[in-house]
Amino acid sequence: MATTTATITLSSSDLLTDNLSLSATMNLYKGGTTATGLDELNYHRAIIPTGTNFTLIQESAALNATGSNYVYIINKNTDATHYVIVSIRSEVIGRLYAGDWMFIPYSDATTATAGVDDPSGDDSDIEIQAFTASNTIEYALFHDGETLLTASDS
Amino acid sequence: MATTQATITLDSSDIADNVLSISNTATLTTAGTDTGLTEFTGIARKKFSTASEFILLDSGLAAGIAADVTADKSAKVYIKNMNDRGDGTKYAAVRINSIEIGRLYGGDWAFFPWSGGAGKDVDIQTYNASGADATETTVEFGVFYE
Repeated sequence: MATTTATITLSSSDLLTDNLSLSATMNLYKGGTTATGLDELNYHRAIIPTGTNFTLIQESAALNATGSNYVYIINKNTDATHYVIVSIRSEVIGRLYAGDWMFIPYSDATTATAGVDDPSGDDSDIEIQAFTASNTIEYALFHDGETLLTASDS
Repeated sequence: MATTQATITLDSSDIADNVLSISNTATLTTAGTDTGLTEFTGIARKKFSTASEFILLDSGLAAGIAADVTADKSAKVYIKNMNDRGDGTKYAAVRINSIEIGRLYGGDWAFFPWSGGAGKDVDIQTYNASGADATETTVEFGVFYE
């Protein structure tokens, strides 16, 4: 097992009358365990062109098996007007503007046929669409196994 | 305007051959600008003991925060499950418009943008290994918005 921690710090000296300073740290554990760390990771960088809603993270039976996965996405663009819309199962979560990041648990709660995108859209893929301009994103999936696709030419 | 920053640090010395160390800071701004967000619900703490799905953040209302959070504006949600991890089977499912995003086990947190809009509530339902569970659960949450 691996030991991976995720820490968030929210801070501001002028949003409220007094300083805002919040910090939380969590360990990324496998579901159903008391302290067994997730030990698989995908870490990507991609340029998302405008005009199409893309599957960023493909749902699969393996991701769904324990339902304990974590997703980090950051928009690396610098122009404040550039953004991506992040969705799950056709439900919009929100917009990541240039410089914004998000970190969510990902249970892949509804799966279609593993390895084959579901034409009905009734799956739990995490999807992304860029607006205003191409957006460069980095994203990581910490997971407990993913369904590997059998090579089509095997 | 205010300057509010959200920093994430992801660290591991053994999930890969080399050390993983990701750290990034986002300044929370209004949509499409460099102007800092100036509104904040504050950090709230909610304790509940129900096995039913309930609304944590009610979107689509005519007044209050719900009226201010819309797709063309900027809003960021922070949620933390304050319970202990326990035996590792209990979790709070986080949903938007009843679509499950993921599961916050005891001690887990999430931070994400929220488009809001009619019906796009952020909902919570707690589970254990057997199904929906009414074990007392405490969450902390807050919304930064414009």
